Amino acid sequence: MNGFAFTRDVIDAGALSAGVAQPAAGGFAAFEGRVRDHNEGRRVTRLAYEAFEPLAVAEGERIVAEALRRHGALAARCVHRLGELAIGEVAVWVGVAAPHRAEAFAACRAIIDEVKHRLPIWKKEYYADGDTGWVNCDRCVSHAAAGAFDYSRQSALPEVGAAGQERLAAATVVVIGAGGLGCAVLPTLAGAGVGTLVIVDHDRVEPANLHRQPLYVPADAGRPKAEAAAERLAAYNPSIRILPRVQRFDADHADEIAAGCDVLVDCSDNFAAKFLVNDAAIRAGRPAVLASVYQYEGQLQVVRADAGGSCLRCQWPAATRDGLVGSCRETGVLGPVPAVLGQLQAMEVLKLLLGLPGQLRDELLLVDLLDCSQQRIAAPRDARCTGTCVRVAPPDGAAEVLELRLPIAEAAARGFRIIDIREPEECAFQPLPVTGQQAVPMDRFLGGGVELDPEARYLLVCAHGVRSRALAEWLRAQGRDNVWSLAGGLELPG
Amino acid sequence: MPRVTLRYYALLREQAARAAETLNSGARTPAELYAELAGRYGFRLAPAQLRVAVNAAFADWDRPLADGDEVVFIPPVAGG
Repeated sequence: MNGFAFTRDVIDAGALSAGVAQPAAGGFAAFEGRVRDHNEGRRVTRLAYEAFEPLAVAEGERIVAEALRRHGALAARCVHRLGELAIGEVAVWVGVAAPHRAEAFAACRAIIDEVKHRLPIWKKEYYADGDTGWVNCDRCVSHAAAGAFDYSRQSALPEVGAAGQERLAAATVVVIGAGGLGCAVLPTLAGAGVGTLVIVDHDRVEPANLHRQPLYVPADAGRPKAEAAAERLAAYNPSIRILPRVQRFDADHADEIAAGCDVLVDCSDNFAAKFLVNDAAIRAGRPAVLASVYQYEGQLQVVRADAGGSCLRCQWPAATRDGLVGSCRETGVLGPVPAVLGQLQAMEVLKLLLGLPGQLRDELLLVDLLDCSQQRIAAPRDARCTGTCVRVAPPDGAAEVLELRLPIAEAAARGFRIIDIREPEECAFQPLPVTGQQAVPMDRFLGGGVELDPEARYLLVCAHGVRSRALAEWLRAQGRDNVWSLAGGLELPG
Repeated sequence: MPRVTLRYYALLREQAARAAETLNSGARTPAELYAELAGRYGFRLAPAQLRVAVNAAFADWDRPLADGDEVVFIPPVAGG
């Protein structure tokens, strides 16, 4: 029996109760949510429910399982109606069987509360005057329970005031990445009352994230970060709109996402994404606030290409450098570092939205938290930039070819010498699907002393094509123009 | 022989095992200075992968160094 289900039929409470009953259960509690004839002072004649079903069913199952575990109940079931309902009909039913009444009541209460807060279910109300309106159940329940969010300590600032608060409420901010930086940026912007927060992250919560990503709890492991973050932020400030997008910020979606916002905030953890954010911000004419962290230090930059300022490509003309310097996973990071840099990003976003003085622009801020130092480096626009950044090429632009997109076997057949640059244990775990390749770990190249035949053509291969691209670029910078990187690495079929 | 103040960030800080230092160098440009330090500390990144700032502004690798200059080698970092 499923713990959670939707139905388009009338809910039969008797049959459902019988299904939940357990011989060992001395307590049984049920709750029925019914369609009422009014809402916020308007007469309601009937209702229609819609849900994002795959997500809602999975989340509903999770809610029931959590309540059973947390409250020690023996069995539980929740059924929610979809479609049109008349006044008085049962819209949602929860039944719990437990050893005693206390566990039964507690689990039943927890299930209905969480269902109301977490499930993507929308209610269309038909009013007596012929009008209709959509109500997100989460929002109306939270609103009623929590009352309004109070911004008075912030709007008391003369530079903010009621007008500033309204500007924030009308603003849309896109946050790319809900990791260490994002976990600092997001709650602060939610607390400030930024009206719409879009969270773009394809990643799932891992236990190793928790020490620096306090939006998540251990039970979130495996959940998409964007969803878990959206849920926490909705509970924190129910009066704002939070739109999770479980996807990469990639070339297919970058422009569409950037076009709909006032500010982009880059909280990603790789250069490919940072350059995508930079370029999308330039094309959309929006400011972007970028930050990166490394162990005990970080870098902050505000790209104001929308106002004639410099951009990431002015500082780093050769775009991708992933794999050259370590990531948080490889080199470690202390929690306060992304927290501080993320708060600096949030501050710059608020300065932009409120028009506050002192906005960072055409500068790179270097922050070292070990010696508590900050350094501002003037980073003016590249003289070659013509306004929309000359280096922003279309996705299939004519940049000199560094990556090859073809099956490894075909590359070998075409005379490329294949070099596997992965670590020995990676090679042993997943050997290359060709013979005759050399295995030379990336570090040996970087340490110097790897001889390459200038007459040969080399194809560098790693697991995902990130390290091999970076190494190929590094070798090109040293004058080796006979090296290429296998795009996508071993993820590429063939 | 110019006396310069240096700051290191990210993996350069790790490889140099210090965040800052002041030294006398025969280097006439940031490129020469970096080559000298790369030899001493085993820096693995090529200058093309870095940016250099002199006196709190991004600078070209071949600009002349003067006594008292503050030089910062800035590697790209992407952690988030």
